[in-house]
Amino acid sequence: MLSGYWIFAPEVLIVAGAFIALFGDLLPGRDRTAAYVGAAVAALAAVLAAAGGTAGPMVFGQVEPDEIARFARTGIAALTALWALWVAGRGMPDERRRDAVALAMFAAGGGMLLTMAEDLIVMYIALELSTMPAYVLMGYRRRDVPGLEGALKYFLLAMLTSIIMLYGMSFLYGISGSTSFAELALEGSGMLGVLGVMLTLVGLFAKMSAAPFHYWAPDAYAGAPAVSVAFVSTVPKIAGIAVMARLLHAVAGDVGGLVTIMAVVAAASMLLGNLAALPQSDLRRLMAYSGVAHTGYLFMALAPDTSAGYGAAVFYTVAYAVPSMAIMLVAAEEGSDLTDLGKLASRRPLAAWSMVVWLVSLIGIPPLAGFFGKLYLFGSALSAGLVWLVVLGVLTSVVSAGYYFRVVREMFFGDEPAGIAALEPAPTASLALAIAAIATVAIGVGASPLLAALGVALG
Amino acid sequence: MQVGPSAFMALAAVLFSLGLYGAVARKSAVMVLMSLELMAVAVSLNMVALSRFVTPTEMTGQVFTIFTMVVSAAEIGLGLALVLAIYRQTRSIELTRMDTLKG
Repeated sequence: MLSGYWIFAPEVLIVAGAFIALFGDLLPGRDRTAAYVGAAVAALAAVLAAAGGTAGPMVFGQVEPDEIARFARTGIAALTALWALWVAGRGMPDERRRDAVALAMFAAGGGMLLTMAEDLIVMYIALELSTMPAYVLMGYRRRDVPGLEGALKYFLLAMLTSIIMLYGMSFLYGISGSTSFAELALEGSGMLGVLGVMLTLVGLFAKMSAAPFHYWAPDAYAGAPAVSVAFVSTVPKIAGIAVMARLLHAVAGDVGGLVTIMAVVAAASMLLGNLAALPQSDLRRLMAYSGVAHTGYLFMALAPDTSAGYGAAVFYTVAYAVPSMAIMLVAAEEGSDLTDLGKLASRRPLAAWSMVVWLVSLIGIPPLAGFFGKLYLFGSALSAGLVWLVVLGVLTSVVSAGYYFRVVREMFFGDEPAGIAALEPAPTASLALAIAAIATVAIGVGASPLLAALGVALG
Repeated sequence: MQVGPSAFMALAAVLFSLGLYGAVARKSAVMVLMSLELMAVAVSLNMVALSRFVTPTEMTGQVFTIFTMVVSAAEIGLGLALVLAIYRQTRSIELTRMDTLKG
């Protein structure tokens, strides 16, 4: 009876690991060891999540660890491990490592639970658990005023939108008389049902920084330490997309017009994100807008309510998160301004070439992860008849090459920034970056079996 | 006169709107936090009322409300900590003065 609960071992492990990291003072080697322990535990959780398999609805139907959840949980745990490994090597600016690693692991635990949520209460609690540590990570340097201001703005907007989402959930519950996704019955509820769904989605849109609810992201990211941005801009997004797929699947049949809403938000995000990213000179701001644009691509696949679309979207969040996190980690090493990367190719050729791999993957050039991800995103939107959206997606991808290649040009042909101190070597941080580069290629090469497992048919 | 669910929902909508106005219009970070609390209370009222009228035998809405109250208490604590950290550095909690970041 109880044996089925082994499937939750990764979550238990990652929360236990967070506590170990939090009290890492008592370990030999203190701060650094705590980060290593965090990375090791998160890596183990990723392996368990991948090996744990799937199951039907569990715990009175409140969670369902299905194939999408399995993929997303593995991705979240693996990225957390990668991040903690980097932090073990380089540390957090001016502050301790262990709290950051513990917070990241709590957020990862919440995110992993979120991917399985089949109930409004579980969804709300897991969403809050995955975002609350993010506020602290964003304002991690306690004497840094811009960072704190960015964190406060992020916090206020996130809290506002989560209350709006909760208001929508109260209507969904009031109409169906149940909080379970499977029992949401909105047919014939008229305006109230639409209002409930819309308010709930607004909260999720803001969390995913989709246009027009994206405006917190550039400010919050530009104030925060780049290493925090690396985590906050990537890992919660995987969980968010997974739970959106679940929620949309539950309500799409009852509420008409959701396709149009999702398609319009996708189009707005792609246009606004890509165009606003073009003139940016701060890498954090640039990646914030690039994140908005990628949310647009993801929503394109979520719009038509097909299982292939949901699978493609979850695959692409991971394919987006790996390079995006790695780019921000390099920014944390070299400096966040674009000119800080000048002549990176002659100073650190390996890092520069890895950056090229990540940027090219974000544009979507084969054979990297981003290409296959985008291929299936566009494919699932195309088979649902959203031709105009696909055309817009392809066009904006071309535009995105403009700002990604600006970074590449700076690394190879830019001017060496004046007065830089040589970066002291940190083998574990370099290892984390190397893993990210290999993973970007490997996810691309191994795309078809991964996508087949997610239920996305080829062709 | 029998008080139906719509009366509670209307009251919740009024409270929610007042809170939303305050959250958008207020300049002091603490006042914004208080407005957010008002919105959270409106949501709780909505849920408890709907729970009473829609599923009187089950307590789903009440249980949901207890969870949300705990979460929002934790959130407010975190928010006040952030406000305090900013106040220590700048001696001000006016949101309009927070313009170090522009974009």
